[in-house]
Amino acid sequence: MSKKQKKLVLFATAMGLMLCITPVANAMHIMEGYLSPKYCIAWGAISLPFLIMGSIFMKNTIKENRRSITLFAMAGAFIFVISSLKIPSVTGSCSHMTGTGLGALLFGPAPVAVLGMIVLIFQAILLAHGGLTTLGANTFSMAIAGPFLSYGIYYVCKKCNLNRKVSIFLAACLGDLFTYCITSMQLALAYPSKDGGVMASAVKFLGVFAPTQLPLAIIEGIITVIIMIALETYAKPELKSIGFLKEVN
Amino acid sequence: MKQPILKITDLSYSYDNHEKILKDVNLDIFEREKIAVLGANGSGKSTFFLNINGVLIHETGDIYYRDTKIDKKNRNELRKRVGIVFQDADNQIIASTVLAEVSFGPMNLKLSKEKVKEQVYEALDYMNLIGFEERPPHYLSGGEKKRVSIADIIAMKPEVIIFDEPTASLDPLNQQMLEEVLKKLEKEGKTVLISTHDVDFAYRWAERILVFSKGEIIADAPPDEIFQNDEIIKAANLKRPVLLDIYEMLVNKKFLKAENSYPKTIDELYGLLSKSN
Amino acid sequence: MRKHPRGYSIDYYAYLSPLRMWNASFKVLLSVSILLICIIADNIYVSAAIILGMGYLTVRKGNVHFQDYLALLRVPLAFIILGSLPIGVSISKHATGDYFMNFHYFYFYVTSESILTAVRVIVKAFGAISGMYMLTLSTPVNDIIMVLCKSHVPKLITELMSMIYRYIFILMDVQYRIRNSAESRLGYRDFKTACFTFGNSMSSLLIISLKKAGMYYDAMEARCYEGEMHFLKEDKPVETRQILMGALFIIIIILIKLFTEMEEGIVV
Repeated sequence: MSKKQKKLVLFATAMGLMLCITPVANAMHIMEGYLSPKYCIAWGAISLPFLIMGSIFMKNTIKENRRSITLFAMAGAFIFVISSLKIPSVTGSCSHMTGTGLGALLFGPAPVAVLGMIVLIFQAILLAHGGLTTLGANTFSMAIAGPFLSYGIYYVCKKCNLNRKVSIFLAACLGDLFTYCITSMQLALAYPSKDGGVMASAVKFLGVFAPTQLPLAIIEGIITVIIMIALETYAKPELKSIGFLKEVN
Repeated sequence: MKQPILKITDLSYSYDNHEKILKDVNLDIFEREKIAVLGANGSGKSTFFLNINGVLIHETGDIYYRDTKIDKKNRNELRKRVGIVFQDADNQIIASTVLAEVSFGPMNLKLSKEKVKEQVYEALDYMNLIGFEERPPHYLSGGEKKRVSIADIIAMKPEVIIFDEPTASLDPLNQQMLEEVLKKLEKEGKTVLISTHDVDFAYRWAERILVFSKGEIIADAPPDEIFQNDEIIKAANLKRPVLLDIYEMLVNKKFLKAENSYPKTIDELYGLLSKSN
Repeated sequence: MRKHPRGYSIDYYAYLSPLRMWNASFKVLLSVSILLICIIADNIYVSAAIILGMGYLTVRKGNVHFQDYLALLRVPLAFIILGSLPIGVSISKHATGDYFMNFHYFYFYVTSESILTAVRVIVKAFGAISGMYMLTLSTPVNDIIMVLCKSHVPKLITELMSMIYRYIFILMDVQYRIRNSAESRLGYRDFKTACFTFGNSMSSLLIISLKKAGMYYDAMEARCYEGEMHFLKEDKPVETRQILMGALFIIIIILIKLFTEMEEGIVV
């Protein structure tokens, strides 16, 4: 074996090792203990206005129709359940949806910010995904940035009269990718590279998580389309009943 | 004349202004009555129960609780006096420990903390649930959940207790438990309404049977009378209790003499048979 | 990890734990202070002490099976390995660092310093995780919610939390049955079928949950619900011995922090 080949073998082993590990990788929750206090507080502070906005929106909806409280709670439980289930995958690895993109399309992004934060607390407590000190950062990437982008894309696509399936796919898939980019940025900010700074570090984090996150985003998009189409075909009246949970329809 | 505990006149109800689920229901319910409510699925039984508990607001007609007319303002009075044990305990239990769950009703009655505690423990004792206080509902068995859902209502001390299809999805042991609870409630002088598909149970237990069909009460009579009436049995998709069939067969074959009262239990039938020999 | 058919193993452990009888506010306070100390101190010895101390408390006093505890620690392992790789390894166009790997166009390289940083982060993460596990493996969610209520978290959040916690198990139950019936009809035989089955079963799960939401509300109203949820809740008394032990542990880890950093200061 030449020297080059040796390196290749080494690289292949390293990649193989990585792929062995990734089957258990979940949606990207920043683990407990990964962020220093100043980032924990900063991301919490950035999330806070969105959470307050969501709470006010929910309170008003409940004031108008008290029955919506159990509907909100069920929506939260549904997001938790869908994000805790193994989804089908090609490689036989085990991955999970975020479910917040779907939530945003169904219930609107404002309540999903609050529900998403509660879901993240339960994921930390019940499943050990994510953590309590990193709650602010995870809330921002998963319950705020992703869902708001999904909802925005869906809205724009609708305005442009794009095919429904395509717009749902884009909304869910890009929302998922956005969450992944934000999480990588959050990690890069906390651990900038010595020589390249934050950007170089961000590239590294994006690269490391790409093998799991890129296929996941596509599968999340496909499944969201299937769910939405099934709902629209079989459950028109039920969809109408949750329509009032949204601001714009 | 006896005064009814609940008086319902010309009650109608529909969801979202569609087809009427309840049509002109007229009914007097008296204290200490044991009423079975029969009828096919979707005949309006559950909607009727939610109306006489004050959860749903009737469109036309009136409900009186002992002379007090119930309207939007005082329907909480009705909820206090009339308790419903829902069909599926999983759709009723909301708290995550048994103690918190059973306390939900009494807390909503705005009782003092000591009083709440007293009533909760009384109800837990009643349903044989002492020792379960800290258990979460998701690690309880089906029968245990049912017991919790009954304790929920007993803790509120209502005068009228409604059971919505309590025997569905219960194993024989838990059905027996349920019948024992019903006996206890009877002794305490509670008024009990039970909706069920189990005609044998209705025949055995009830003093009075209401038959619902398409939102109307098509029959209101004692059990023997209801089950003698083939028209009603057919209209409401019921079937005759086995015991009644056997008794009539025995009378037809001259094993027994026809009597005024029909046997309600196997033991009673046995008594008649031994007497005639 | 032993699996409970209708639940999550952490939740199941929390109800079985002997530590459940401890005062919930005390456990939350202890766990959160240790978490904070762990990330503020950012000190490998402090983190190691926390891993040992919290591990001992959870496994010995909390009766968690050691094997299961290790299995639970493996849950975040994938993230920790992937998340630490970029911290330890850097890319450069030139050969640099203490160790490097040549890929012709670029180099992967590591320095002793970057490896040390990565190891520190990993140990710190495990310290924080074991602090969190101490709480979650000994305190059922409803106790945690009770503490949140006491610490004036908005009512909207705590009420939603207690409802969502209850509904999660109901929906998991429904989902479990839908999945079994789909599997028995070959609904997951290949990737394409699996996607459709999964999507369709999720949409029916959503419809079921919407219907259940309505029924729940009726059942709550039937018990005189008027917009605010109240439950009878009682916290267990806190024992002086527990407070003393907790305070002692915190003092020890703070001393470790001060002592090790003083030493480093002398060395430098």
